[in-house]
Amino acid sequence: MKYSTLPQIRALFAMKLIGRMCGRLMLPLLLGMVVGTPLLCAQQINAPSDLNQQTSQLLLRRIDQLEGRVTELEAALAKTATAAPSPAPPQAALPPQPQTEPQAQPAESQGMDMNKTLLRIRGFSDITFHGNDHIHDSPQCQAYTCFPSSFTIGQVNLFVTSDLSERFKFLSEIVFESDEFNNFGVDLERMQLQYSQNDYLNISVGRYHTAIGYYNTAYHHSTWFQTTTGRPFLFEFEDKGGPLPIHNVGASLFGRIPSGAVGLHYVVEIGNGRDSRSYVPPLGQNATAVQNYVDENSHKAFNVALFARPDSIRGLQVGFSAYHDVLTPGVPVRIGETILAAHAVFIRPNFEWLNEALVIRHTPQGGRVFDTPGGYTQISKRFGSYRPYFRYQYLNAADSEPLFPDIRLRAGPSLGVRYDPTDFVALKFQYDYTSLRANPAINGLALQAGFTF
Amino acid sequence: MPRVTIALLMLTMAVMLSSVPPARTSQPAGLEPQGNPAADECLAILVNRSNPVENLSFAELRKVFLGEQNHWSDGRRITLVMLESGKPERQLVLTLIYRMDDKDFNAYFLHHIFTGDIHAAPTTLATSTEVLKFVSNVQGAIGYLRTTAADESVKVVRVDSVLPCDKDYSIRMHPKSAK
Repeated sequence: MKYSTLPQIRALFAMKLIGRMCGRLMLPLLLGMVVGTPLLCAQQINAPSDLNQQTSQLLLRRIDQLEGRVTELEAALAKTATAAPSPAPPQAALPPQPQTEPQAQPAESQGMDMNKTLLRIRGFSDITFHGNDHIHDSPQCQAYTCFPSSFTIGQVNLFVTSDLSERFKFLSEIVFESDEFNNFGVDLERMQLQYSQNDYLNISVGRYHTAIGYYNTAYHHSTWFQTTTGRPFLFEFEDKGGPLPIHNVGASLFGRIPSGAVGLHYVVEIGNGRDSRSYVPPLGQNATAVQNYVDENSHKAFNVALFARPDSIRGLQVGFSAYHDVLTPGVPVRIGETILAAHAVFIRPNFEWLNEALVIRHTPQGGRVFDTPGGYTQISKRFGSYRPYFRYQYLNAADSEPLFPDIRLRAGPSLGVRYDPTDFVALKFQYDYTSLRANPAINGLALQAGFTF
Repeated sequence: MPRVTIALLMLTMAVMLSSVPPARTSQPAGLEPQGNPAADECLAILVNRSNPVENLSFAELRKVFLGEQNHWSDGRRITLVMLESGKPERQLVLTLIYRMDDKDFNAYFLHHIFTGDIHAAPTTLATSTEVLKFVSNVQGAIGYLRTTAADESVKVVRVDSVLPCDKDYSIRMHPKSAK
């Protein structure tokens, strides 16, 4: 991105001109006035002498002020002229644009310039046409968008970042989206203030995607980044019926662990967790899943993740995470929630292979334990602008599961192809086969145009 | 869905997998290592003179350029400088260090900025003079130039303990590809 230095040069020139005017014109003029004032005063027959003295004192003080101001301006001018290049304006998000001049990083002590914006904004969205061969009234189908064939406006995502200083960064995702009732709404999907001490210690507070497994932090609210038309239903968003606490509000620590070529990283999170009432169907009508403002209980959700990116196998990441929370869907009912996840992914520009497995354990107080296993594997390879892909996913919840009895069994393959006609547009065509327990399987097709702007 | 269909799909994927390129490409075409390359063929890795770094292993250099390492040892944030698209020096860095083309490079940074892993996109400059000025003025900067274009306003770091153009220096280009 090109930034013109012309306004800065003009400002410097104006400052210099003012300085010169103050120094060369104003000063003699005022001195002349001071010298002339007694003469003028002498001609005023009735002017009191104490007034002359007061005027002189005022003028002398004014001269002192102006001389001081001139000195300040000259010093500022000299400092600006000898300093390194002007402070860097915010960089473009991407793609990187050529810059005509080198620019220095903003200093920590630098004051706020009200004429500059610190924001960088990038947008993402998609439009999908989809349909399936079964529309039935079972709760399971209602929960998983067994809608008639429809054109659907996807999420319009404004990704906003800002460098507040060298160590502080702001990041947010503002999403406009329509729901199954065709109403538009706005969600602040992510909002994080991040402090980076070094590569080993980063602290973030706000609303974030929980580091459960891999997919949830690798892909956020944009289908454009994803190979497929949508997320695995294991990682589906809460308001779309997903079983996981995808979002969380709280604090997190993350960074590298000194481990040489093993490339270990850690994430530790503490937050409000998911509102347990949001699990109960119909979707989204009882409670908002993400506890943005108040937690339903004082117990906080903890998550710890550890993963490795070994130097020896570029593109490989393996790791696991453990999440725990206590849910209180009704007093005095308490349900312990533990989510254990493991992943192994291999990603290179031309090839990806994602594998994840997890188990969600719900432990009602004094009751039986419910384990819900799930996972997926996804593989794709790029051939020029085309990327065919395959995904098989599986999620199996007990019919008597206390928090999401409508999920039951969902399993099946997806097959599709992604075509990138330009760097900014992706077209995807996907077929889904989903087998359900106690209901006919669903065959679905989706055609999606995703883009970034 | 019949199991046979699933099996066929898996078989198709296995065939696709078999054509995956090898894990580590050695040297790209036209960039074969030479015995003692001329100064103009070598790419010097530059940092600010105040930077305490003297040497980077090639693995560390990759992490820095990929944004996997965001801070120097003194805690200062790393600012990566790239020459603009089309420059042979940039092409060499993309091929040798990133192992990506321009499109993948843009997609990579866009994705990792989106996930929050990377602080900002690399600064892209048009000329060697601009790179020199930038690196000499910005304390956390790292960039690259032909050895002949570097001067004393910046520090040239060793890569795997080897200075540019010394024997076994890895970041160099064949004269044909440099023209």
